[in-house]
Amino acid sequence: MKQPVSTLEHLALTRRELLHRCGMGFGALMLGELLRMAGCLETAQASESTSRLNPLAPKQPHFPGKAKRVIHLFMNGGPSHVDTFDPKPKLAEYAGKTLPFENLKTERKTGAAFPSPFKFQKYGQSGIEVSELFHHTAQCIDDICVIRSMHADVPNHEPSLLLMNCGEARQIRPSVGSWVVYGLGTENQNLPGFIAMCPGGYPIQESQNWQAGFLPGVYQGTYIDTKHTTIEKLIENIKNHHLPLKQQRRQLDLLRQMNEEYQKRRQEDAQLEARLQSFELAFRMQMEASDAFDISKEPQAIRDMYGPGTQARQLLIARRLIERGVRFVQVWHGEGQPWDSHDDLEVNHRRLAQQCDRAIGALLRDLKQRGLLDETLVIWGGEFGRTPTVELPQPGANAGKVNGRDHNHWGFTMWLAGGGVKGGYVYGATDEFGFQAVENKVHVHDLHATILHLLGFDHEKFTYRYAGRDFRLTDVHGRVVKEILA
Amino acid sequence: MSQRFGAALLALVGWLAAASAQEATVKPSFAPEAIEHFEKRVRPVLIEKCFDCHGPKQQKASLRLDSRQAVLKGSDTQIVVVPGQPEKSLLIEAIKQTGELKMPPKGKLSEEDIAAIEQWIRDGLAWPEDTPPADLEAARKHWAFQPVRVVHPPSGKSLEALANPIDAFILARLESEGLQPAPSADRRTLIRRLYFDLLGLPPEPDAIAAFLEDDDPAAYERLVDRLLASPHFGERWGRHWLDVARYANERGYVGVNVDRTYPFAYAYRDWVIRAFNEDRSYKDFILLQLAADQIVTGPDKRDLAAMGFLTVGRRFINNQQEIIDDRLDVTFRGFQGLTISCARCHDHKYDPIPTKDYYSLYGVFASSQEPDELPILEPVQRGPQTEAFERELRRLEEEKARFERENEAMKRERPREFSEKIKPFENRIKQLHATHPGAPPRGMVLLDAPKPTEPRVFIRGNARNPGPGVPRQFLEILSPQGRKPFTSGSGRLEMAQAIASESNPLTARVFVNRVWGHLFGRGLVRTPSDFGTRGEPPTHPELLDYLAARFMEEGWSPKRLIRLIVLSRTYQQSCEGDADGYRKDPENRLLSRMNRRRLELEPMRDAMLAVAGDLDPSFGGQAVDFLKNGRSTRRTIYGFIDRQNLPGMYRIFDFASPDTHSPKRYETTVPQQALFLMNSPFVIERARKLAARLDAEELTEPRLRIRRLYHLVYGRDPRSEEVDKALAFLEAAEADRSESQLSPWEQYAQVLLMSNEFVFVE
Repeated sequence: MKQPVSTLEHLALTRRELLHRCGMGFGALMLGELLRMAGCLETAQASESTSRLNPLAPKQPHFPGKAKRVIHLFMNGGPSHVDTFDPKPKLAEYAGKTLPFENLKTERKTGAAFPSPFKFQKYGQSGIEVSELFHHTAQCIDDICVIRSMHADVPNHEPSLLLMNCGEARQIRPSVGSWVVYGLGTENQNLPGFIAMCPGGYPIQESQNWQAGFLPGVYQGTYIDTKHTTIEKLIENIKNHHLPLKQQRRQLDLLRQMNEEYQKRRQEDAQLEARLQSFELAFRMQMEASDAFDISKEPQAIRDMYGPGTQARQLLIARRLIERGVRFVQVWHGEGQPWDSHDDLEVNHRRLAQQCDRAIGALLRDLKQRGLLDETLVIWGGEFGRTPTVELPQPGANAGKVNGRDHNHWGFTMWLAGGGVKGGYVYGATDEFGFQAVENKVHVHDLHATILHLLGFDHEKFTYRYAGRDFRLTDVHGRVVKEILA
Repeated sequence: MSQRFGAALLALVGWLAAASAQEATVKPSFAPEAIEHFEKRVRPVLIEKCFDCHGPKQQKASLRLDSRQAVLKGSDTQIVVVPGQPEKSLLIEAIKQTGELKMPPKGKLSEEDIAAIEQWIRDGLAWPEDTPPADLEAARKHWAFQPVRVVHPPSGKSLEALANPIDAFILARLESEGLQPAPSADRRTLIRRLYFDLLGLPPEPDAIAAFLEDDDPAAYERLVDRLLASPHFGERWGRHWLDVARYANERGYVGVNVDRTYPFAYAYRDWVIRAFNEDRSYKDFILLQLAADQIVTGPDKRDLAAMGFLTVGRRFINNQQEIIDDRLDVTFRGFQGLTISCARCHDHKYDPIPTKDYYSLYGVFASSQEPDELPILEPVQRGPQTEAFERELRRLEEEKARFERENEAMKRERPREFSEKIKPFENRIKQLHATHPGAPPRGMVLLDAPKPTEPRVFIRGNARNPGPGVPRQFLEILSPQGRKPFTSGSGRLEMAQAIASESNPLTARVFVNRVWGHLFGRGLVRTPSDFGTRGEPPTHPELLDYLAARFMEEGWSPKRLIRLIVLSRTYQQSCEGDADGYRKDPENRLLSRMNRRRLELEPMRDAMLAVAGDLDPSFGGQAVDFLKNGRSTRRTIYGFIDRQNLPGMYRIFDFASPDTHSPKRYETTVPQQALFLMNSPFVIERARKLAARLDAEELTEPRLRIRRLYHLVYGRDPRSEEVDKALAFLEAAEADRSESQLSPWEQYAQVLLMSNEFVFVE
């Protein structure tokens, strides 16, 4: 007989159903434990049956992963790699001249070579060159693995955001964070397992960026507008405006007694018990969540290290969340597409980097000091990079200015830190002008395969059956970039 | 204990799953790059150049090239490929045309294609899944593709007395497994079950009392008939269908600052509700949703709204291929339980659905288009707002006319500027049509394009790589011998007729199974939208066929079907079966008891409104955004569904994802649900209203008030210890009353609304 592996339509064994089905009692549980410890089990994929009882309970991946949690710093809009982490002196040589080859096709027409207005210098033991824009981040360069050969499929925001977040440019697919929480659960049941923070509103493509797709809705990222500072604006229904905690506790005590009485009169049913427990969790969550988002509890020295402003606040919150066992935190730079510098690149990139550079550097140091960096994978990047050539003026687009760059999916930079990647390491390269990835190319699917690998998943076996198919984050693609593993 | 338990449980499930996965296949493993090479460079060539003679239809020289095994087996006389050694492979000699054998006969392959095939052989003949080709004749043997059989209920001594044939099927099976059915549930439980299952609302205490007092043996049957006739029936069952139809009120992300709403999605929702209330035959229900444009001819255009089924989907930034794929998926998973989207890039790996069939049907939708102006669903019912709307419309039209009069020169001389300037006037009129409560509803129709598209297969699903042309026609596996292409326009009506047909083996089975699933918590087939070979087989195949056949015979009437099921003893069983049943059949596949079910979001929210006495029972109309209009007490089905940014309340309570067809709701338990019940303004307000209801009824004696609350919320008397606990709680809450903004009674009422007894239906 066929045995369902993981599908919504097959789900829903209760705890007891399962025990009976196995024809085993408590001894069987011990057997299961042993098997699990021996690593024989693909528990991540099999969790579906129990997911309705507690879909967020911690689970084991396919093999022990070096990374236990993820912080994804999303520079939405597309930061320019030739102005940040991928120096191209050759551009200065060609300044104002056409490149020796035809400009690759991007969203809009571009013209002559546009040398970076920013200074690069070597940092750290590794001597990796980084521009002045990320001077603070560069202090940690020996913990950072710079991938200079990223590439994606198209030069447009929407499909590229979906590709970067969900591994597919158009169709409905779960986001990386949803996959990860589906596979690993989360370590703190008092907080959401996947949190997406973006100050001021949504990025382009909105909450699809952290969608659960066909996975259960509980795996979707919880969106938090970090422009706000009060807890009830941050998390829905986290606070009762009518009852103090003491009175609410009394309500829950009565509720517990009533629910227990109801259960006692019935044969065992795991969903009754699960629902009873969920109120206790929720009660604790009210305190824990408030605490996690309250950065005033941080010592002054730490707050100073991150600096002032919204970016600093949300990065510090990210660390507090990670520290409390939240599995996946995505930190967006801001509403819309802030890094999209079609014009005035020098002014805009400088302003944007100033908002976040110091806090990113602080985050890396802070994680390291606390011993969290080893198990936390930090990812930095946008949905693509920008052209090394200047964008030509276009009516309605850039107001006649000739000082910005167009989108570039042919080649761009992302960096990873912690979580089992090589620090102080550069992987791959773009051509001498930075237009296209040419050496050791890393597609977004490859990045996803690598992230899953770092977390302990074989991306080809990490599947979810939906509509008759076993879906993967990487679909039929993806190569683990073994070269960057520590 | 519980944490370890959870972990161990996971481990066990994993073990079961892993063991079975091993049984299923032993497959050679290939590097992903090799597979990718095969899929991108080799398979398309094989499909296009070789399969006509060496594929499923023909096997010249007994050679087929559509599975790895077949390629390895070779022709009837010789081996054609030596894995790893292209130079020793006859296939290469043939395609290079260096020897006697020259293939393909119609012309040599390009050098690139030849090199790709050589590389593939060098890679060891990489092939992703070693499944045998879907052979149509073999595939027809799959139970779901077999015609619906005429089955008679099993007979036997113990079965003869049974009035309802369903029970004969269920009991015969239980008996053969040595199991007993559970006793009948008590009448309070039954009336609550029926109300929630048929109406999605709790029974009023008066209705309960009347039912309990009615000792006529036909009382239950009468109750069923009364509920089936209630207008709330359509709201409950219509919502089930909206899950199938991935209904939402907006089109998803299509850009920034673009209006995304579907102003007339509500007309589809109301049509569905009305169709269930009026018990439209399921056959018409199908035909109208797929092809009302070709059926509705008279002055009454209301049925045009049915086509929202196809058009309320996500718009994928207006990508045509995705929109059509979504429409194919909702049609075929929805009506046929077939996952044909799997055949978009390659032949379906498990079911007999070749890519060609996918594109045959793709052509049907590619030949259909949406009109610029949606038709008004006449006859317009004049309501209190109609006049206001017409007044406003006249005013805006006059404004526009005035602008035109005053700028005639501009219109002649600078037409572009004119059209720019007139736009705001047009937009205001459009906006009025879309949003004014008195505006007539319109149907979100599709129409046949003037000239139908001749579809071509997109190789690997890539529209930029069109392959052979295919006719617009129905799926081969569901067609009689000698399938004929569609002849009329897009073929959409013919497609609909092929689905809504007595001879289609899937249509009735799939629907009957959905109905069963809504009444029992799980279908007879537990994969309600996948009846293919990877779906689960039915637990009671004869019963499924019996119900399907009877359903068709009785005019495809959903109400008769539901009536038949809820009148069965099987449905009326208690949730408490005997211990034997739990042990032998823990998943309750054999139905030796009823399944306990948690209320979904809609009946939960509606029930809170109902018991608090402030449910607004009005029917239909434009969607209400509950977030912006927090005071609305309309039923949940009337809420505005924003698929792009689905609000938390929907997400945390496992609402059907409006992104794609939803076969079944998830049932998760997470603390965010509890937070909603503990803290949301909605629930607090219901607790207040519920307590206020006692005051309005001038109940003062605490014990009587508690009793009344129990009747309203649970439909039963409180036990004496429950009264004592309540009194103790109220007393304690009274003592520190000044610290809280909720009165003791309000606090207590909220506890009842949060309890398991309130949200579970037995």
